[in-house]
Amino acid sequence: MADMTLTHEQQKLQALAREFTAKHIIPVASEWDEKGEFHKFILEEVKNIGLHCMAVPKEYGGPGCDSVSQSVVMEQFGYGCCAFATTLGGNGLSSYPLAIAGTDEQKQLYYGRLVAGGMGGFALTEPGAGSDAGSCATTAKLDGDKWVLNGTKCFATTCGVANIMVVFASTDPSKGVKGLSAFIVEKERDGFSVGAVEHKMGIRSSNTVELLLKNVRIPKNHLLGNEGEGMKIAMKTLDMARPIVASMAVGVAQRALDAAVAFAKAYLDVNGKPIGMQQAVSFKLADMAIQVEAARQLVRNALRLKDAGVPYTKEAAIAKTFATDTAMQVSADAVGLMGNYGYSKDSFVEKLMRDAKVTQIYEGTNQVQRIVIAGQLLR
Amino acid sequence: MSYALTEEQQLIQQSAREFTREYIEPIATEMDRTGIHPSAVVQQMAEHDFLGLYLPEEFGGTEAGYLSYVLIIEEISRMSGAVASILINHASLAAYTMYRFGSAVQKQECLPALCSGEKLAAFALTEPGAAPGVGSHKVIATKEGDHYVLNGHKCYVANGGVADIYVVFALTNPEAGAKGMSAFIVDAKAAGLSIQRTIGKMGLRGCQSAELIFENVMVPQSNLLGAAGAGMKIVKEAQLVASVAEGAQVVGIAQAAMEDAVKYGKQRVQFGRPIAAFPAIQTMLAEMATHIHIARLAVYDAASLIEKGEDFMKEAAMVKLFTGRIGQSALIDVIQIEGGYGYSQEMIASRFYRDIKGAVITESSAAFPEKVIADDLLA
Ligand SMILES: Cc1cc2nc3c(=O)[nH]c(=O)nc-3n(C[C@H](O)[C@H](O)[C@H](O)COP(=O)(O)OP(=O)(O)OC[C@H]3O[C@@H](n4cnc5c(N)ncnc54)[C@H](O)[C@@H]3O)c2cc1C
Ligand SMILES: Cc1cc2nc3c(=O)[nH]c(=O)nc-3n(C[C@H](O)[C@H](O)[C@H](O)COP(=O)(O)OP(=O)(O)OC[C@H]3O[C@@H](n4cnc5c(N)ncnc54)[C@H](O)[C@@H]3O)c2cc1C
Repeated sequence: MADMTLTHEQQKLQALAREFTAKHIIPVASEWDEKGEFHKFILEEVKNIGLHCMAVPKEYGGPGCDSVSQSVVMEQFGYGCCAFATTLGGNGLSSYPLAIAGTDEQKQLYYGRLVAGGMGGFALTEPGAGSDAGSCATTAKLDGDKWVLNGTKCFATTCGVANIMVVFASTDPSKGVKGLSAFIVEKERDGFSVGAVEHKMGIRSSNTVELLLKNVRIPKNHLLGNEGEGMKIAMKTLDMARPIVASMAVGVAQRALDAAVAFAKAYLDVNGKPIGMQQAVSFKLADMAIQVEAARQLVRNALRLKDAGVPYTKEAAIAKTFATDTAMQVSADAVGLMGNYGYSKDSFVEKLMRDAKVTQIYEGTNQVQRIVIAGQLLR
Repeated sequence: MSYALTEEQQLIQQSAREFTREYIEPIATEMDRTGIHPSAVVQQMAEHDFLGLYLPEEFGGTEAGYLSYVLIIEEISRMSGAVASILINHASLAAYTMYRFGSAVQKQECLPALCSGEKLAAFALTEPGAAPGVGSHKVIATKEGDHYVLNGHKCYVANGGVADIYVVFALTNPEAGAKGMSAFIVDAKAAGLSIQRTIGKMGLRGCQSAELIFENVMVPQSNLLGAAGAGMKIVKEAQLVASVAEGAQVVGIAQAAMEDAVKYGKQRVQFGRPIAAFPAIQTMLAEMATHIHIARLAVYDAASLIEKGEDFMKEAAMVKLFTGRIGQSALIDVIQIEGGYGYSQEMIASRFYRDIKGAVITESSAAFPEKVIADDLLA
């Protein structure tokens, strides 16, 4: 059923993404979760419908989807598998720094690879720099007409298979946060290698790796924006990305709700009636639905502000916090409501509960979101 | 902890702590990975008299009381919720049912072997797709001469496939629905009883869950446990007794997880200070410590009531209700505190996160905590 609050175009994309999810993601999600291997083949399929690089503008060969459209699609992908959605979300995320600070030449390079089907990555986090992204130890030094990068990045989504990425490094460690800069690094550069692979509790088929940079030489014009603008670019990137993570979380929560509703209709209580007819159960389902719908509308609200070109930092952080908390709560409630079946691998909801947890952590923990929100309030 | 534990109880607690370190710690991670029943640990528990700890000496038990028993569950759970579940299903569900509702002969015949560890027991209640006694796979016991003949399916039976003896709930009066349910003692080797499959679970891996098939299983009439038709009453009491042990399991897991988060929070530095210095982290820790403390008192109190033979149903239900809420939220917060690292499969917090969910899942509708408490208030 079409969502009438969306434009005609958005409705069409939603239907396309829903169909894709049902056909290509849902049937394989459990198997790939179990294996914990990267789901490359789904990516091949998603390219066929042109939804692998939604954020790339039309003039660079992408579909140039507006933010609400991207969100609507990502909610569907999140519904199918949060790991797969994370891969595509991360791909989009990696391209936002270009939209923020890229020159035409840089965009040609970066978007070009994504449009051709390559994957992008975004490497900000380091072992010693998580929430405190500014305390970056990776350095970039100018040597003639090349930047030379040295350091270790971690928790880099898709970077084990990506062929181009945005890497943050300090061009002036004495300046702290103000010394941070952003660079485009292609996978084939000498000195670039992939280190340890993270084995995670959830989103197991998303690829999360360590990146090792040893005297990686990249052209001077691979610097995004100016020296020292890295933090600004990272923060703007995360503003753009948070409602997308939130959209995936809404998808996870909606999946959990749907599973719980189906269970409540089918599972019979001691009196032989569906448990959904018991108020203790039906009210719980209603509570879950309240949260899911509120989360979805908060996300759409943030993105409409963004598409309207007005400030939306606070709303993006609010949406991210609420939607990911909702994914956590609703998936845990679904497992509880479905009892032993929900807890078993026979159901999908135990995966949702493992996947949901990471959404409260990445792209800024929900504590960091509060720092952002409070910062806006107390300005 | 000011709750007045006797010297004997403190000694038992201490020995369980040492036991856990010596026998469970070395295998806990591997057991989670393989999901294989730890028979050597069970044998060691038998040698340490854990299996019949609260049962009377006349039946081979140690008669140390239910509070001492939950102290052991709490200690074991600090390292492995799965081993605790094995013990709870054996001692609080199966053995308790035989002890409370069995005839003198049944008790003499069955309990000594359960206390010595010669036999492991399980409690087979749950059926696929519907509350026990309701769905299309319900187990029906048909009287034929001096035997009952059992047919049907049971699922999610903990210790299923490794147990030597089952307490099985079956309909002796199918017209009466779940109210026509009775309990039986069934030998695992009985002809016609087979294991359909073991069931993969989100956590508590190592406490094996199985689906049991009954095909014309002949059970002597003398194995009817309690009165015919007393099944629901037995289930309610046994599950509430088990709730208190599960409460101790939740307390143990949450305590260990909290200690892990404290340790992590003290050493993880962001923004130039240990993250434990941030009020947001301190608030999470303070809340979980408070919840765990109150839950522990409630567990000890309910265990004391059981031990003294006083009314305990409401208090046991309160334990279930409260530990369910706080156990879940504690682990959501513990991973949050440990950030991306806590989400790793290799960190113990992620195992606790999966395990605690199994410990807090509600028992059958016969022992629904909200219902039990409200019924008591409104009586
Ligand atoms: C699966 C996965 C994928 C990821 N993908 C990427 C990626 O593609 N690119 C990338 O760059 N990074 C990625 N990350 C990293 C992610 O963004 C970080 O994990 C996150 O920013 C938190 O950092 P941390 O894990 O180091 O936690 P820490 O920063 O060490 O935080 C630990 C705890 O302290 C709290 N805390 C920290 N500072 C404060 C404060 N000032 N006030 C109050 N509380 C505070 C946090 O909220 C958290 O609860 C990924 C992480 C995961 C798990
Ligand atoms: C790790 C684990 C081990 C287990 N081991 C065993 C075992 O060894 N043997 C065994 O027989 N079973 C076992 N179970 C199953 C468990 O004990 C319960 O039987 C099961 O969780 C639910 O009981 P039920 O099938 O009677 O469903 P119901 O009681 O019908 O309930 C199903 C769901 O409906 C909801 N519901 C129903 N009635 C109400 C109400 N009045 N108010 C609010 N909500 C309601 C609840 O959310 C509940 O989870 C295990 C479960 C787990 C998770």
